[in-house]
Amino acid sequence: MSWRIWRFLLVALLLLPGCESGKQAETAEPTTPKTPAQADSNTPVTGDWLIIHSSADPEQLNPVTSNDATAAEILNYIFETLLTRDPKTLELKPYLAEERPALSPDKLAYTFKIRRDVHFQDERPLTGEDILFSMKVIKCPLVNAPFLRVYYDSVVDAQLVDRYTVRFITKEPYFLNESQLGGIPILPRHYYDPEDLLKNVTIRDLLKDPAKLSEGVKRFADNFNRNYNRNPVGSGPYKFAEWKTGRIVELERDPKYWGVGKAGIDPGFLDRLRYRIVTNPDAALVTLKSGGLDMMDLTPIQHTRGTSSERFKREFQKLEYFAPSYSYIGWNNESLIFRDKRVRQAMTYFMDRKQIAKTILFGLGEVVDGPIYFFRPEYDKTLHNYPYNPQKALELLKAAGWADTDGDGILDKVIDGKKVPFRFEFKVPSASTTGKSIILVLQEELKRYGIAASVRELDWTIFLDDVKNHKFDAVIMAWAMPASEPDEYQVWHSSQAANKGSNHISYKNPRVDKILEEYRREFDPKKRIELYREFQHILNDEQPYTFLFVRKTVTAVQRRFRGIEVYPAGLRPLEWWVPLSAQRYKNLAP
Amino acid sequence: MSSYIFQRLLLLIPTFIGVTLIGFLVMRLAPGDPAELRAAGGLRGAGEGALSRGKVSAVDEALMQWRAQYGLDRPLHVQYGIWLKNLFTLNFGESFKDNQPVWNKIIERVPVTTKLNIFSILLVYVVAIPLGIYSATHANSLGDRVTTLAAFILFAVPLIWAATMAIVFICGGDFLYLFPPAGLESLDYSRQWSFWQKFKDQTWHLFLPVVLLSYDGFAGLSRYMRSSMLEVLRQDYVQVARAKGLNEGIVIFKHVLRNSLIPQVTLLASLLPALLGGSVIIETIFSIPGLGQLGYESVLARDYPTVMALFSVSAILTLVGILISDLLLAVVDPRIAFGRRQQ
Repeated sequence: MSWRIWRFLLVALLLLPGCESGKQAETAEPTTPKTPAQADSNTPVTGDWLIIHSSADPEQLNPVTSNDATAAEILNYIFETLLTRDPKTLELKPYLAEERPALSPDKLAYTFKIRRDVHFQDERPLTGEDILFSMKVIKCPLVNAPFLRVYYDSVVDAQLVDRYTVRFITKEPYFLNESQLGGIPILPRHYYDPEDLLKNVTIRDLLKDPAKLSEGVKRFADNFNRNYNRNPVGSGPYKFAEWKTGRIVELERDPKYWGVGKAGIDPGFLDRLRYRIVTNPDAALVTLKSGGLDMMDLTPIQHTRGTSSERFKREFQKLEYFAPSYSYIGWNNESLIFRDKRVRQAMTYFMDRKQIAKTILFGLGEVVDGPIYFFRPEYDKTLHNYPYNPQKALELLKAAGWADTDGDGILDKVIDGKKVPFRFEFKVPSASTTGKSIILVLQEELKRYGIAASVRELDWTIFLDDVKNHKFDAVIMAWAMPASEPDEYQVWHSSQAANKGSNHISYKNPRVDKILEEYRREFDPKKRIELYREFQHILNDEQPYTFLFVRKTVTAVQRRFRGIEVYPAGLRPLEWWVPLSAQRYKNLAP
Repeated sequence: MSSYIFQRLLLLIPTFIGVTLIGFLVMRLAPGDPAELRAAGGLRGAGEGALSRGKVSAVDEALMQWRAQYGLDRPLHVQYGIWLKNLFTLNFGESFKDNQPVWNKIIERVPVTTKLNIFSILLVYVVAIPLGIYSATHANSLGDRVTTLAAFILFAVPLIWAATMAIVFICGGDFLYLFPPAGLESLDYSRQWSFWQKFKDQTWHLFLPVVLLSYDGFAGLSRYMRSSMLEVLRQDYVQVARAKGLNEGIVIFKHVLRNSLIPQVTLLASLLPALLGGSVIIETIFSIPGLGQLGYESVLARDYPTVMALFSVSAILTLVGILISDLLLAVVDPRIAFGRRQQ
């Protein structure tokens, strides 16, 4: 389910947040609004629709080749995975599997036993064949899913032990393998491969040179890439009903869902989930207010300005949660100026992050001091919080040798035998208005103390290119991550600084490298937490980034819906229902 | 005449190749890499400046695989050659977004955009022609000045602003609810509806987009009409008609209007491409799934095949439009075709 959580989070981050800070997700408004429905019993009933705002069409609806957030959210209702995460605790738990997989002593083989009572939406049973097939599809180099395949690099083989047991073999011990394997979307083999072209192909075959694959595999991949993008069939509680390009994507509850009446499985109550595409956020808010939408993520400005009328509050409740992500300013650790950690510390002291959270983020952000999702047990709350303190910052700069020796109003220092003025450039993606505002505030502040920072806005793709090629002094960006167990290897390990890796600021610390490597091989969560404590303290001292904020998402939901809970990873309409008397869409023809 | 037509048709080919080549180069030399965009989790991921962590690790190999799949790893001139070759077999390729044939994506959206544009062009003509006639017959009167001023004020109002104001103030929400803020049909739209019901629903949804799409066209066309009409009014035969004692209405509508419409023929050239284009802003603001929206989204997503297809379609329509108006002019004024032949 890591895969699912992932993408879901990406959505949350993008439709930026809005609301008062300081409170955690659970402090949403009361979920039982005063509607006439109060008189109804409190037992959930089926019926009614939920109309959800989407700002764009999904690119395609194929769980393997889709790579956008809208599609991921929609596909979550149609496809299921071996394991899932408890929405509250984020612990892995079985879903299509009977229990969590058995791990071999060498920590390389994972054996999944599958439930025997599962069937697909066309009522054909789900078996180990389908699990194996789904992995083959992902691993097939001709299937157009290179970006999903990266996650399954470690899978080197898979076998069917018996009709309901599947074993995956991985390359090296890694504690997140379980979550990755548990997260593959399970496709009905008979539907996606009607000719059974992959039947005699093994994972090992697929790892060979793509040019040498058989005609059958090629035909399968071609067909899969082309003809399965708008007609998904899975085993989940909602069936795909209709997609009118640019207008709606509609799902309907499957009354024959295998999970109906099974403990721990949510079959869903709402008859239809309709994603309504409204590209313009202003129009979307107006549509929401006039009843054309039931659920919509609000922008900060919509949250603070557009939705505070009494009328709005009567009709809608606003739910808030923190999207697992953080924003940061990345200092190029190899630049002449920023390779000194005292300078980086000073930069953080120059920033009044609390104030910025209040003014620029409209209070919809929480200051963070480390790279781990703020609400995970791994996050170390004892980190030094670098309060706003320009005096301290100046002292640090002085200690680092910066002073205005030539009286031109700008600090300078002799580095490597050359006089270097304290001038540098911030690079900002032009679409990020918030990032821009934050940098402008900092720029003003720095100017007062003799530091000349300029700002350059760049189109996202160019920006990304510069970042990956280390062509910057400082950048402002954000990372989205899963709410599940963190793995920081990719961002902080020194090996990731080369080849356009994610360690784009070129942070290098041998001790950190060691911790990151050890952490991946450590299967004991307690020991992992300890390792990451040390890691966070090192980062906290070295300030390779100035960590900024974890931001809140605010979602408006029509008040007739009941059973709403706000989870760390967001909302789950699968649990919502509407009392009979309040149901709005009853007898409408589809 | 036929050789003139033949000449003009031949000329279309190099023009078309030139136009698409420039379009191709502009698109491809502009920064932005569809593979990177895809890796970063689709377009929305990219827009907000957030990187999903796993995706970035999507090592170069994955990027290369993706580019190879779509032939983006080849030299530019080869890619253009392939594109052109496919075009002549009427194959626009497949969209990067969903592997659907681009042609289907375009066809799917043509009706929406055409409907929008036909109504808006009609509206522009229905308003602007009478306005121009009025201005010409009442030249320099107060009425002429007021209507001209009004038309020019409308011309100067930015569409984005006007549309946003309309949505906020008359599309529900906290103010008036006269028109729907988005989309082309009601929430409960059903295929079983009677014709009258569907018609009402469509009209209600199309009204605002059509009006907004049209208002800035009033100024241009009415001015055009006014000046060509004034020119005809100064002709001797008009004086003769008046001297004969003809009713002023007959003078204007029978003798002047017809002749002053001839120059408008050239404007037809722009009509054809306008039927399919010109509504990017309105379609985006009102969430109307037409070609303008498709083009806009495709450019942002660097969906080259779709962009190029749209580009070629509008190039072809423009060229054909120009051709038709040239031919019409030649019909109206034979000297044009004859002059060519003499050279």
